[in-house]
Amino acid sequence: MINLTINGKQIEVEDGTTVLNAARQNDIKIPTLCDHPNLTPYGGCRLCVVEVKGMRVPIASCTLPASNGMVIETETDSLKKSRNVILSLLFSERNHFCPFCQVSGGDCELQNAAYDEHMTHWPMQPQWTNFPVDTSHPFFILDNNRCILCRRCIRACAEMSGNFTLGVEERGSATIVVADTNVPLGQSTCVSCGSCVQVCPTGALIDRTSAYLGHDKQMTITRSVCRGCSLGCGIQIHTRDNRIVKITGDYEAENVGTLCKTGRFLSLDEKRTRLTSPMKRVAGQLTATSWEDALTTLAQNLTPLKGNIAALASTRLSVESLSAFKSLFADGLSSNMVTSIEEGRPTAIQAKYAEQNGFAIEGKLDMLRTADCVLLIGADLLTTHEVAGFYIKRNMPKGTRLIIVDPNENGMDDLANINLKPKAGTDEAVFNALEAAVIKEGLAHTAEKTSKVSLSSALQVCGLSEEDLTDAARMLAEAVAPVIVYGKGITTSSEVSVMDAMLRVAKLIGASDSERRGILSVKGEANSLAAAQLGLDEQLEVKHEAVYVAVGDDYVTKRLVEKLEKVPYLVVQASYESALTERADLILPVNIWAEEAGHALNTEGRLQFAESALTAPEGVRSNLDVLNEVAKQLGVTVNEDWRTALTKRTSVVELEM
Amino acid sequence: MTKPKISSDWMAGCSGCHMSLLDIDERLLEIAELADIRATPITDLKEPDESGVDVGILEGGINNSSNEEVAHRMRARSKILVALGDCAVFGGVPALRNMCGTQEALQRAYVDIESNDESGKIPNDPELAVMSNMRAIHEVVTVDLHVPGCPPDPDVIYYVLKELAQGRMPEIKDENLHWH
Repeated sequence: MINLTINGKQIEVEDGTTVLNAARQNDIKIPTLCDHPNLTPYGGCRLCVVEVKGMRVPIASCTLPASNGMVIETETDSLKKSRNVILSLLFSERNHFCPFCQVSGGDCELQNAAYDEHMTHWPMQPQWTNFPVDTSHPFFILDNNRCILCRRCIRACAEMSGNFTLGVEERGSATIVVADTNVPLGQSTCVSCGSCVQVCPTGALIDRTSAYLGHDKQMTITRSVCRGCSLGCGIQIHTRDNRIVKITGDYEAENVGTLCKTGRFLSLDEKRTRLTSPMKRVAGQLTATSWEDALTTLAQNLTPLKGNIAALASTRLSVESLSAFKSLFADGLSSNMVTSIEEGRPTAIQAKYAEQNGFAIEGKLDMLRTADCVLLIGADLLTTHEVAGFYIKRNMPKGTRLIIVDPNENGMDDLANINLKPKAGTDEAVFNALEAAVIKEGLAHTAEKTSKVSLSSALQVCGLSEEDLTDAARMLAEAVAPVIVYGKGITTSSEVSVMDAMLRVAKLIGASDSERRGILSVKGEANSLAAAQLGLDEQLEVKHEAVYVAVGDDYVTKRLVEKLEKVPYLVVQASYESALTERADLILPVNIWAEEAGHALNTEGRLQFAESALTAPEGVRSNLDVLNEVAKQLGVTVNEDWRTALTKRTSVVELEM
Repeated sequence: MTKPKISSDWMAGCSGCHMSLLDIDERLLEIAELADIRATPITDLKEPDESGVDVGILEGGINNSSNEEVAHRMRARSKILVALGDCAVFGGVPALRNMCGTQEALQRAYVDIESNDESGKIPNDPELAVMSNMRAIHEVVTVDLHVPGCPPDPDVIYYVLKELAQGRMPEIKDENLHWH
């Protein structure tokens, strides 16, 4: 521990704490601009200068490690004067005229800093130089005239998404923030995660959707969970007048503020037409009707077909809805085909494996923070579960190595230290070959002496070279904290034995042992794991007289629409018009994700509650309400104990309920 | 004790700050009770008393020789000079032209602009004031009190006038400090 004095107050902090953080921990406010609690200290703006007894000049506290016996002052007259000059220099460097700026009036940290110092004017006038404005990006704008060169965006680009798109060009006051080698942002390597916009202290980076729609203090901010994929990133939904103005990453959540394009921007970029009234098919035409009539029609048509109804639900629905859905159709109506839209493709095989063996095999996402070698097999993270890809990418400059095994093109191909392209569908052989190679090289972490299959025969099956494979085996076995991340490439295999082969390799390379489970699968949509736990993971076969599809606000694939083309009676519970609702005989309109509260069970088994942030349009009901109403009409009692329902089956990963 | 004399004038601005001043509504009567309101653009008297006033208030910045004259006159005749509003304090909207220079701004406004026909030309009457870069007042004369805002809120203006009328220097901070 370190003992120091700040403003006459004796304080004790952990070793390695900066003076700025020492002050913060003790409620001593030091103004900052370039500093961001979730980014590496940079020491660029100098606003956080403090006086250290015995030191000649004031020093930036954000990069100054606290040391024993330090005596620090943060509020002397001389420091106040320094801060005034620093701020004045910042204002004079660019066009910082507040009346023209979107963030002025509460959301601008530069303006707030000046207010805190009671600055009524700038002692120095601006230098009247025009800097470039980049409006080429579809989601946000970069205005260098508003930039104070704090480099938060650059650090966020590197440290949050690991993308390294943003940097600076030129020197001194001519410095500008640029993408790549100064190409327009819209044509750059930017992946639109928007972290840069979230951390920008001024109006230099503003997003198009929320621009000029009000300040943060005028909005209602709801902490929620992203429903874009199974990672379950924490989000903050900013709403005003029952409209989402923007979505930001929640720093308090496991993702520590990081989001991807899907979570931050795409969910606000909705182009589909909303369904706001129940509809039924009358003389071949879909016609709007009342809820009462819709439900009566449903009961009339489905009651005689009990036992002959197939049911499908989106894995974006809440755990509560999925559980009610399962209870209604599988238990209540004894249907032999109750599954999810994903049909268990991203989850069935590992669920089956866990069930057979009776134990969890997967670990938690935060292993990716400390992994020094990642084997990414059959998963294109940057397309399907981008933030997990960011977790890996951002550690690569620190030495984390990446081995990709994917017969297809992979978004992280360019980053891989070793990139193996085996023949499609030969993942088991790849694992067998890795096993044989690790043993052959004498690098096994277990006492294993013989491999299941010989190296040469495994290589023959997967078509990889011995040299590449051996390099990969060596890299994995020599790593201190290796992690295997697998995706649909593995989970769509028909043989559970691939799981066995993966687990053998995991043990052999020291990824999995009694203390650690260095295996992760990313699964599918938000509640993929919950659907698997409820047994909604069968492959869809439709030979039924009627099908009930609870799509919610999910997209429907062409494949699904084709499969349901000839169903005699099709009921669709959905938020948006789609090819499926066009084909439906009865449509029940429901809430979208942000309009209903509910739980989500993410890929690592963490149960999270998502608040609702919007009021649904009139005539639309929640997914759970509709399922309960349907149950009532069909004379079924729905089991409401979803917690027990979730834990009935052995889970592939430990559940944190 | 005699009431303090207050005078005001406007330069390169939009007169919005004076509109905001009028927006203090019936509180104007309170100010008129406390102070002797002399020359302003919205009263009959147009120039501050040669004998001087206690408080001179200027709206707008300085972008030509005429404004310069107004600023120097007000400075010379007032004990306390107040810069009222963002144009007076920072340069404000008219200062945008500094980004391209006065000549280019004139060319755009009088000649090149899409709504003009072929006959557009930059006014060059010798009686016109000579144009310059837009400047905040404190770049030309010493300012004693800056009241930023575009425009400053009527409540802020009321507070400032009330304090000055009673011989106190207003403190522009917290809820009274807005740059927009």
